[in-house]
Amino acid sequence: MAPARAVEDPRRGALARWLSSLRLRLLAATLVALVVALLLAGGLLAGLFRDHVMRQFEATLTAQLDQLTARLEFDASGQPLLDAGTLTDPRWSRPFSGLYWQIDSGAAPRRAVLRSRSLWDSTLLAPDDILADGAVHAHEIAGPDGASMLLMERTIRRDDPAATPWRLLVAADLRETGAAAARFNGMLAASLAALLLLLCIAAVAQVAVGLAPLRTLQRALAAVREGRSARLEGRFPVEVQALTEDFNAVLERNAEVVARARTQAGNLAHAIKTPLAAMAQAAASALQRPATAAELAPLVHEQVEVARRHVDWHLARSRAAASLGLPGARTPVAPVIAGLLRVLERVHVGRSLALLCEPVDPAATFAGEAQDLQEMLGNLLDNACKWARREVHVSAMLFTDASGRRLRLCVDDDGPGIEVSRRDSVTTRGARLDESVPGSGLGLAIVSDLVGLYGGSLSLGVAPAGGLSAELILPAPAGQVDPAAPKARV
Amino acid sequence: MRVLLVEDDPTLRAQLGASLREAGYAVDEADNGRDALHHGQTEALDAVVLDLGLPLLDGLSVLRRWREGGHTVPVLILTARDTWHEKVSGIDAGADDYLTKPFHMEELLARVRALIRRAQGLASPLLQCGALALDTRSSRVTLGGQPVNLTSHEFRLLAYLMHRPGSVVSRSELTEHLYAQDFDRDSNTIEVFVARLRRKLPPETIETVRGMGYRLVPVP
Repeated sequence: MAPARAVEDPRRGALARWLSSLRLRLLAATLVALVVALLLAGGLLAGLFRDHVMRQFEATLTAQLDQLTARLEFDASGQPLLDAGTLTDPRWSRPFSGLYWQIDSGAAPRRAVLRSRSLWDSTLLAPDDILADGAVHAHEIAGPDGASMLLMERTIRRDDPAATPWRLLVAADLRETGAAAARFNGMLAASLAALLLLLCIAAVAQVAVGLAPLRTLQRALAAVREGRSARLEGRFPVEVQALTEDFNAVLERNAEVVARARTQAGNLAHAIKTPLAAMAQAAASALQRPATAAELAPLVHEQVEVARRHVDWHLARSRAAASLGLPGARTPVAPVIAGLLRVLERVHVGRSLALLCEPVDPAATFAGEAQDLQEMLGNLLDNACKWARREVHVSAMLFTDASGRRLRLCVDDDGPGIEVSRRDSVTTRGARLDESVPGSGLGLAIVSDLVGLYGGSLSLGVAPAGGLSAELILPAPAGQVDPAAPKARV
Repeated sequence: MRVLLVEDDPTLRAQLGASLREAGYAVDEADNGRDALHHGQTEALDAVVLDLGLPLLDGLSVLRRWREGGHTVPVLILTARDTWHEKVSGIDAGADDYLTKPFHMEELLARVRALIRRAQGLASPLLQCGALALDTRSSRVTLGGQPVNLTSHEFRLLAYLMHRPGSVVSRSELTEHLYAQDFDRDSNTIEVFVARLRRKLPPETIETVRGMGYRLVPVP
């Protein structure tokens, strides 16, 4: 198999290269279209010319037949007479000239009574035919020299309908028409080939002019990649301008994300250095004064916990900062709630806790990253499960306010709740890291930060069952169907 | 109770192994996903502590393959990433619980105890069989409210039997679940410890079912 692939690969590579070139694809498509169009036009023109020549040929031959009919006379016995000298075309008298006439007896036995000198000693063999008087029929027959001929015939009678019928035949060599058609076809082919060449040159020029902005774009991109420029510079046609503006927006966003990531990394490093310094100091002290070694363990324990909180908090913040403003981020709410409830049901399986979710509108969508929604809702649900006695309720609904479509998520529990005086401290940014109660405060702090970054809000209140009610208001994608609106009209 | 500990960091593995052994578990260890997968498929385990970031085969893949193969051993996953996305992925892969690093050893031991208990359909941490009671949280055994002093081996044997109230437990099952893989197993050891337990408890507490094994019988 390997050698076969080795043979096939270059071809496939060449084909792929060929297909991937916009210029070659455009040129190939144009060439195919031009060739097909010109072939069809050539065929049509050649056919029309051939028909025209044949009609002219038939008309000329019919005129010859009319002349023959007009010159025909009969003697006293009723036999046809024709003075060949009255026929003007010299070809009638030149042997095998290609133009012949013949008069046959229409009654049996059929025989040639008179014929042109050009026939010499041969005859025209017309197929048996029965014609009404005066009608003209055309046949294609083999001539004296075997060449294809067009034969026109007419049957006439001298006086009354019972008289002997006579068939007047006129034939001419078809090679004349063939030669004329061949000359025309030759000229037509040459003209069409010249036209094809001109059109191909025009197509190449058109493709080159049309794709020129892409080459400019390529140079601008290379400048960005090599660091010579921070954005795509240059003037482009309107069709490409939209693309470059979008790309410049992405570049700017990327630069923002990098700047924010650097800031977050700096903040995190700074935050971790403090507990590290505390532990290093304690370790040094324990080395110098072994009597204080017993204090080391609780201090390390405490500082590790502080460092862990810093890491969690900064990670959540940096993730949200990075994902914020991602164009078009949409997260359906129902699957996120279902996933979180699966986790919490498993974790709290031994507590006979009821995790109740009101039916979520399938259209309910969050305008942001799934992981951020999981983080916010997960922390609220986890907090509710830790404090709830028997039940935790979660609900999601869409509504519209002055700032647009919004998503409301509520998590209620029947636990002890949070005193009014402490509610602000668990959601206020800043001092919470040191003040938060292990296992709960940090979660709410992260939720509060994420919600703030998304321009939403977190409010804490009293649930119907007496516990804590946490309400998240988050942005929903624009254009989302608001199920409340039609209901309100009804 | 036999626990498989899967952790690639040698320091953390040694600390976890020591704590689990101290808590009375027979501990098998694996430091990569491939060994863990094989061990979980071939050995009789009561619980698994599984780190997610493992060499050769990641923890979630190991877990999925166990579950696809019909292995229902309770699994506690350890993860360094404290995101809900990770937790949902872990639970959906078949984990029974999760713990994020760094963690307190007491919390890990409590979670493992709860997992083993729940796997046997026991809701309360206090296991009872008549007048005999075993508190899994404090590893204390009482008989009619009076403490019973047991050695580590005696406690492990009694704890295993108390996790299976009313069931006949064979000698080979006891050997498999009470000793780690690398332990030199000798079925006579089980008989020795059963005899010792019978001396410390009412003799009829541990009933011998001839040819099948032992059964714990509630005593008044």
